[in-house]
Amino acid sequence: MKHLFKPEVFKNILGILVLFLIVKILWFVVEVLWLPPVGIDQIAQKGSKALYYRVKLTPNEAAAPVTTTRKQPVRQASGNIKDIKLLAIYNASDATVVTVAYKSKTKVLSRGDNINGFILEGAGNDFATFSKQSKTYKVHLLKGKASSTSSVKTIKTTGIKAKSVAVKGDVTDAGDHKIIDRALLEHYAKNMDDIYKNIGIGEVREGKNLAGFRITFVRKDSPFAKLGVRRDDVIKSINGQEINSYNAAFGVYKNIQNIDNLTLVIQRGKEEMELEYEIN
Amino acid sequence: MQMVKKIFIALAVIWFAVLLFMPKQAMYYKLEQELAKHAIKINEKSMDEGIFSFTLHQADIYAKGIKLASVEKVHFFTVLFYTKVTLEKLTLDDSLKNIAPTHTKEATLIYAIWNPLNISVEAEGSFGGLNGAVSLADKTLHLDFNESKGIEMLKPKLKQSEKGWYYETSF
Repeated sequence: MKHLFKPEVFKNILGILVLFLIVKILWFVVEVLWLPPVGIDQIAQKGSKALYYRVKLTPNEAAAPVTTTRKQPVRQASGNIKDIKLLAIYNASDATVVTVAYKSKTKVLSRGDNINGFILEGAGNDFATFSKQSKTYKVHLLKGKASSTSSVKTIKTTGIKAKSVAVKGDVTDAGDHKIIDRALLEHYAKNMDDIYKNIGIGEVREGKNLAGFRITFVRKDSPFAKLGVRRDDVIKSINGQEINSYNAAFGVYKNIQNIDNLTLVIQRGKEEMELEYEIN
Repeated sequence: MQMVKKIFIALAVIWFAVLLFMPKQAMYYKLEQELAKHAIKINEKSMDEGIFSFTLHQADIYAKGIKLASVEKVHFFTVLFYTKVTLEKLTLDDSLKNIAPTHTKEATLIYAIWNPLNISVEAEGSFGGLNGAVSLADKTLHLDFNESKGIEMLKPKLKQSEKGWYYETSF
């Protein structure tokens, strides 16, 4: 009988197919015993709400507006320099920024800015100079409880070689609430490492689930200490957003530069407290 | 001689069969499971398999529930003794622009059996280019930046030598 294939070739092909089958079976066993049939995906967080923003609405008690348009003459500012209270000074070699209170409102001014006709010219260790109609006025720093020792920062910038970036801005006490300098927020948004040098935040877990964040330490005299938060405070919510996940916390971090008010709800011991901040 | 040839052919067949029948998708799921233990998750739009490769398309990378980056294409290539992972068009979340360069055109990690204690790293992006290595023996990562532009936000974490800026950390 004549063979269609050489038996040697047939044997080799069969051998190869057997090896393929063995490897396939081995992989099948590995897949069944050790490999998961489905992957793990991040599920979008539901029920999270956007940060709320506090808006001061004027009571609608005024008479209906008159529709006639009348060109009003531009009023010259006639305020007094004594109306301007100096709350904080940031004075670097390349920038001067001051926080002032004027008619119960706080405002951050940089060199050349105008408030009620007074132009900020410069600042010293505990005073700022304003000019108006070629006259120069000197306003001394308000010696308040919080601002008496710590609100002045005179920092010399040292250029690119500097390893750490100087902290700009400060937190000032305005009685019922505190005022956070926007420059300070911007500094911490740009230098996250600086946050963890001043404040420690740890997880609070209920079983396996993350329930919130606890403050583990606050560096004395840091801006975080001036916020009024303490060690072992549990952060419950920020501007109405419950802080029970990293995503929620990061959402606040992403939006922090766009908000004007901050309401922090913390739990201190058994007591729940609301801390109010104005960002200026 | 005939025996040596047969053994060589058998090894080549086994090598090819291992790659051909490798459950690449299930192995990727295993990788996802391991990463999830460190709170890192990857959401991909689609994936496809080749004989020697596995590709993820439009992958979003999350850490602790926060979306950190998105990658247009993650390409895994392996011939067992040489493995290469390529990330194309890696974009970090905009909120991280103050911490790291946001755009990376391509990043490549290579592990080869002839250099078993190192994983070489190369990347190209808005920061210019970088190359370096992960030392598995010393448990260190060393990255040399080829240019000094576009890395201003990284400089507080970088060190400078005669060759230029570099990043070094241990794990």
